[in-house]
Amino acid sequence: MTGDKDSNGGERFTGHGSEWNNSSLSGQDAQTATAWVEQKIDKRSMLTNKDRVEDVRDIMWQLEKDGEIVVHRITEDHQPVMHKTLYGWDKKIPTNRLWHHKSCGQCGNIPGYPTSLLWLMNELGLEYLDETDQTSCTAWNYHGSGIGNLESLAAVFLRNFHQAYVAAKAEGKPEGYYYPLVHCGTSFGNYKEVRGYLLHSAELRERVKVILAKLGRLVDGKLLIPEEVVHYSEWVHAMRPQIKERQVIDCSNLRVTVHPACHVYKMVPEDVIYDDDVLDGNRVAVSTGIVEALGAQAIDYSTWYDCCGFGFRHIISEREFTRSFAIDRKIRVAVEEARADVMIGHDTGCITTLDKNQWIAKASGSPVELPVLADCQFAALMCGAHPYKIVQMHWHASPMETLMEKVGIDWRAKKAEFEAYLKEVEAGNGETLYDPRRMITSGPGYKRIEG
Amino acid sequence: MGHVSTTRVQSYIGDPVSDRPAVDRDMLEEVFQDIQADMRYDHELNGCLNCGICTATCPAAHYYDFSPREIVQLLWTENLEGIHDAMQEKIWACAQCYTCAARCPFGNSPGGLIMLMREAAIKHGMQSAKDVLRPFSRVMLKLISTGNQLAPDMINPDHFADWGPNISKIDAPLKLLRKAVPVPTMHTTETAWQVNLKTSVELYTIWEMTGVLDQLETIDENLFDVITDIMDEKREDWDDWVDEQDDEDDED
Repeated sequence: MTGDKDSNGGERFTGHGSEWNNSSLSGQDAQTATAWVEQKIDKRSMLTNKDRVEDVRDIMWQLEKDGEIVVHRITEDHQPVMHKTLYGWDKKIPTNRLWHHKSCGQCGNIPGYPTSLLWLMNELGLEYLDETDQTSCTAWNYHGSGIGNLESLAAVFLRNFHQAYVAAKAEGKPEGYYYPLVHCGTSFGNYKEVRGYLLHSAELRERVKVILAKLGRLVDGKLLIPEEVVHYSEWVHAMRPQIKERQVIDCSNLRVTVHPACHVYKMVPEDVIYDDDVLDGNRVAVSTGIVEALGAQAIDYSTWYDCCGFGFRHIISEREFTRSFAIDRKIRVAVEEARADVMIGHDTGCITTLDKNQWIAKASGSPVELPVLADCQFAALMCGAHPYKIVQMHWHASPMETLMEKVGIDWRAKKAEFEAYLKEVEAGNGETLYDPRRMITSGPGYKRIEG
Repeated sequence: MGHVSTTRVQSYIGDPVSDRPAVDRDMLEEVFQDIQADMRYDHELNGCLNCGICTATCPAAHYYDFSPREIVQLLWTENLEGIHDAMQEKIWACAQCYTCAARCPFGNSPGGLIMLMREAAIKHGMQSAKDVLRPFSRVMLKLISTGNQLAPDMINPDHFADWGPNISKIDAPLKLLRKAVPVPTMHTTETAWQVNLKTSVELYTIWEMTGVLDQLETIDENLFDVITDIMDEKREDWDDWVDEQDDEDDED
């Protein structure tokens, strides 16, 4: 390792051999020399300058034409909105008649995520179904432990999406009435990856077809493949004009950093929405799009591309990695560099990791605090949803109170309202976002709702 | 991949002065062939110029003796000893973020290759897999027996002391707080949402038919026994319910 003197006269180590000579470029020349790098790094071109990219949907339509599979279509009844993906391809985002493919991490740990989403759909007068006949995607476990395999992941994908296809029959409605909306970023990435392998491999299709047949989950003896795999953040992005119309709280004074989820935009990146009007089309558009639509200030920061540190396995058993990465590479950068008031995300593990791992920073004598929540929670809050009854902010460890104060919400009064509401819940007078009888669509407990 | 065992270097793994037990060449080949046989292998590995952009951008490389570039090189050059060695610890450092895959100019997915190596480590019952996955057993128990990976009752200060006292900022019993979530499927504490009995049974059938239960038995026999007991009961419950329905239909 070679010791050297930089232009400021301080010693530094170049890491190169003794034959290496400092170029001694002026600041301006150095900037010119690195301009190419700056144009490329952290830009959309990093993802698009590769070969071997294909649109697997072409294979899907051909397989359907050949009579191999059935495609669950997004019809006009699903009120689709078209968006452009990484390569400028069209992606159809259904906005109505949605089947909620819930996330175990969100439902288990950040319940304000699904409640905010369903609340927004109620506000917009949209139809949906949230039911008990759904499993986790099982991909968190797979990526963390290695227990599972391509075949099991594919079978789970096809089983859950088949249920989405047939669920409406329990309400006397036709197959395909509801279209699946995937809440979890890891489910979204995993399902898209698995869909690609299924479309490519006749062998994999044959193997899982045996399983799906045993479960009674084929359509006309064929595998059912969804036309699009859609993440809830894409729905929020598509609906941002309608959400903006319902905004009642001004958030223009908020400096917002967005943490995009790796499994949303780094897995199967060609399927991700990029919008020329959002961050010049260089970054994934979801979440930043709704933040800007609501009038908040989206602030860039140098570790935007970094993961959160969740690690799947690490958050359980390698916690020092998770919390160190979350604090040092994300939260501290957002606070000190971007001077952020809040960090907005769109995935399960990210929100958990970034929200829950701030308290421990006090132990290192260098505390850092930043409210962390999901884009749909933020949108619901700005549209007047109750911070505790709907947005369920009490499950967040990060300082939600400072965020509420910044936008003029009296959180003490809201908290008192919620504590009073808990007594009502205890007395059996709790409120729900939909008729609870709808949640069971078959098996024990199912009763057909007439009318 | 034929070979003739002649020298220790050709026959066994590792450092000749190490105390680590030697690994037979046949075993090294078997492990590598299992990795290579996965249909994803050729999709995830296309070539490597050692540019290191994967490692430069890797979160795990910041904190561990781990480099995705090294993993790709070991597989690309078919370095059987190195592959086996990496499976003893390094592959478990990866955070599965796929930043490496997004950045690789060759379109490799080092994170995806890591998954193939983890699956092979489990298949071969490697001690590294057993050690690393022991703390994960709660998640696997929950997932395989219910269809949910995470549940509200798993998030408590005993397990997550470093998250501080604010796991919930409202002082009320967990059960009550869950009932106050206005989504009826989520009035649960032992699962993230209420899972239909039929759904759990269907998922278990998937585990059985795809060899996942075999993986589990290899890694943790006790956990396997517990889960099979739970699921046998659930299956009986489901069969009983189906019989009852048949009886009711007959009466009609």
